[in-house]
Amino acid sequence: MGDIYLSYFHKQPIVCFSIIITLIPLILIIYKSAYIDSAFLLLLIYLIIKLVIDNLMLYYAAIKVNTVFYFNINVLVRYIFLSGMFFCKLETSLYRKSVLYSMGIFTVFCICDLLYINPDLKNLHNHKALLYSTTLECLLMIFWILLYFYETIRSLKISNLLLFPFFWVCSGLLLYYSSFVFIAPVLHNAFKWNHRLDIGFLLYVPYIFEIVSMILFSIGIGTFSARHYAK
Amino acid sequence: MQNNEELKWALLIATLAMLMMAFFVISFVMYYQKRKFEEEKKLNDIEKNYSRLLLDTALNSEETERRRIAQDLHDDIGTMLSLTKLSLNQLSKIVGDSGEKEEQIMRKAQSLVEETILHVRRITRELVPTTLERFGLAEAIDEFIHKLEEGNNLIVTFHPSTEEIPRQGQKIELTLYRIMQELVNNAIKHANCSKIEISLEVNDKFIGLRVTDNGIGFDPEHIKENNLAGLGLLGIESRLAIVNGTVQYSKARNNGSNAFAQVPVVPAIDSKPEPLHPFRRERVNL
Repeated sequence: MGDIYLSYFHKQPIVCFSIIITLIPLILIIYKSAYIDSAFLLLLIYLIIKLVIDNLMLYYAAIKVNTVFYFNINVLVRYIFLSGMFFCKLETSLYRKSVLYSMGIFTVFCICDLLYINPDLKNLHNHKALLYSTTLECLLMIFWILLYFYETIRSLKISNLLLFPFFWVCSGLLLYYSSFVFIAPVLHNAFKWNHRLDIGFLLYVPYIFEIVSMILFSIGIGTFSARHYAK
Repeated sequence: MQNNEELKWALLIATLAMLMMAFFVISFVMYYQKRKFEEEKKLNDIEKNYSRLLLDTALNSEETERRRIAQDLHDDIGTMLSLTKLSLNQLSKIVGDSGEKEEQIMRKAQSLVEETILHVRRITRELVPTTLERFGLAEAIDEFIHKLEEGNNLIVTFHPSTEEIPRQGQKIELTLYRIMQELVNNAIKHANCSKIEISLEVNDKFIGLRVTDNGIGFDPEHIKENNLAGLGLLGIESRLAIVNGTVQYSKARNNGSNAFAQVPVVPAIDSKPEPLHPFRRERVNL
């Protein structure tokens, strides 16, 4: 089993590194007690779920089992938790409500998309990646991030953005989703078990920016001070 | 196959463009936020300086007005009262033998005039602390507490940290003197105290005035939170703001209150004290 794992690490170093690096922000959130901030608590829960799902995917990929089902679940979980962070951080009630409604709408959309693409859910071997949900997730997340930046600029409450943890998280997310937004629509065809669309190195771009975003998350959490945290 | 290559290039270009935009957005937010903060800070500084200037002008006008009133009282009313006293003395000699009733009225008029002269002198001194200008803060406080003790059953003590308190700039001395007056008056009016201690502490950088009483005390936080600070406390803060000073209120050991005002030392420039009424002096010189 270990050999299979190691050979997969050797074959897909970027993918595997993007999974391992998740541990850094996860440990930092716990070490720095950043979970006292509800947004970082959501990030912590998401990172734990992501780590579990990624490891499951890694395990099944290593034994040549279709893992797209887990990828699809991850899309929904990722949006719920990451947009939840913006629900906690945005101050305008209208924006907060919009985030909340978007979670419900996205969940329904995601399930419909999943059922539309995979009419036979039991057939996991030929399970296909979501067609529209990933792109919608990217667009919505970029929108929430820009909205948060707009609110931050307008309110002028943060004197030094470089010392504000959530700014780093937003920057990481913006880079990740920007790298993903145009690749997401083709993933449906790229992740097919048969007749796969080969997009070459571009398939690794989101993984690279996932690593970048994890590094930025870690920097942000590194600047978090539980002592100076004001509820 | 060619379509696939085209798609790859299109995706690569679109992704790169999107990433560049993301970098631009992040940089813009950082730059804009920084610039906005600097602008806001500059604006705040300008507003602060302007308010300080306004306050300074208002307090200077108040002092000038006090000086003018004191001068008028001293020169006009004081002189007239002295002349009235002189006339009454002459009249007293003339009507001396007229009768007992006339003599009584005359004596009453004379004593009333003398009392009025004393009142005018007291008011004049209160309006302009000439001792402060001539001899400095320690002597002025000393004189103030002596006068205070005369009419009250109050023990007021004064402890300067050194025997010779170095002379400070006129504004600093006047600010500390007025604050001392306000704090002592507050203690008498509101604290229900029997003892007041005033101390003056000077070091290389700061000069501090401490007024402690043994009265009922007050909770400064409660007063601040509930906007209960009266004109007196606000006036103290305003005066201190002009000279970059601070004030701290706390509970004294004997349950009374303790106020400590601190201002940066500004050594006095060697100059003669201002005349009682500068405008009049100018007129005389002309």
